[in-house]
Amino acid sequence: MTGTYKMAGKIIEINSLYKKVHDYCKEYSCVCEPDITVSITQADIDYERKKSAAADTAEGRTPHVSPDDYLEELAVYRKIAEKMPEYDTFLFHGSAVAVDGGCYIFTAKSGTGKSTHTRLWHTLLGERAVMVNDDKPLIHVDDNGAVVFGTPYNGKHRLSTNIAVPLKAVCILERADENCIRSITKGEAYTMLLQQTYRPADSQALIKTLVLIDRMAEHTAFWRLGCNMDISAAELSYNTMKG
Amino acid sequence: MKLNKNFLVHKTGNDTIIVPTGNADFSGVVKGNETLGAILDLMKKDTTEERIIQEMMKMYDAPRETIEKDVRKIISSLKGIGAIDG
Repeated sequence: MTGTYKMAGKIIEINSLYKKVHDYCKEYSCVCEPDITVSITQADIDYERKKSAAADTAEGRTPHVSPDDYLEELAVYRKIAEKMPEYDTFLFHGSAVAVDGGCYIFTAKSGTGKSTHTRLWHTLLGERAVMVNDDKPLIHVDDNGAVVFGTPYNGKHRLSTNIAVPLKAVCILERADENCIRSITKGEAYTMLLQQTYRPADSQALIKTLVLIDRMAEHTAFWRLGCNMDISAAELSYNTMKG
Repeated sequence: MKLNKNFLVHKTGNDTIIVPTGNADFSGVVKGNETLGAILDLMKKDTTEERIIQEMMKMYDAPRETIEKDVRKIISSLKGIGAIDG
């Protein structure tokens, strides 16, 4: 099956074995000449199965059995992420929320509470807080800074908006009993930035990704937030980071 | 021995960082100081532990045993994450 979609300003043709990925991406469909073509084979799906099992094992979970059409969704985004550095764009793992034209990304290891925190922003700010992408936004970097894009790959709650918003800040989130936030340097944030960025298998694409991260960091504020699940956590983070 | 092709050396500020590509089994990142950077520079070409120690002695004013201990520790860590071939 073939479909064409627009993500991070690029037209992507997806040639898949199953229909599911097209349903998944349908809100981003368009009719244009593709910049990127992604074609999936059974070997790509088997590779995702192996990767998922390795990730489950590494995190102490029993590897679960996933259907091929679900694994194909993952394979498609992996192939897109492999090609995006050519277009000054990379995939980042975090929950990205926009307020008043600026995007804030909360990043942390899975299960820490990124989505929970951005939901608190929505509770605090109502419709002023727009979910750009709750899980895996694409970030485009140019001389003026970074821009965050909604994509269909938006986490288990399927929260995203098909928009592009300039990145204002990245906040590393940790659980804490008492809420506290502080500004951190690029150096302090750097290891986490690398860990949360998709790292291409192709070394040239990885070199480009590292250049993009450095360039993004020149234009972005970094914060470290220790937070609980009370609304006061969102009040503290929003009021501090908005500047 | 030589740095594995699935690991890149990236320098940012005063830090040297080893970043694995998506092909490496290791998925973390390793951050170190300029000593790590100097050793990794030497490992871009095939070399030996003794040659690295000799080069480091030319670069740093420290007793051989101190340098030898540092070099062995770093090489052992790099081997542990699969970043060294040979």
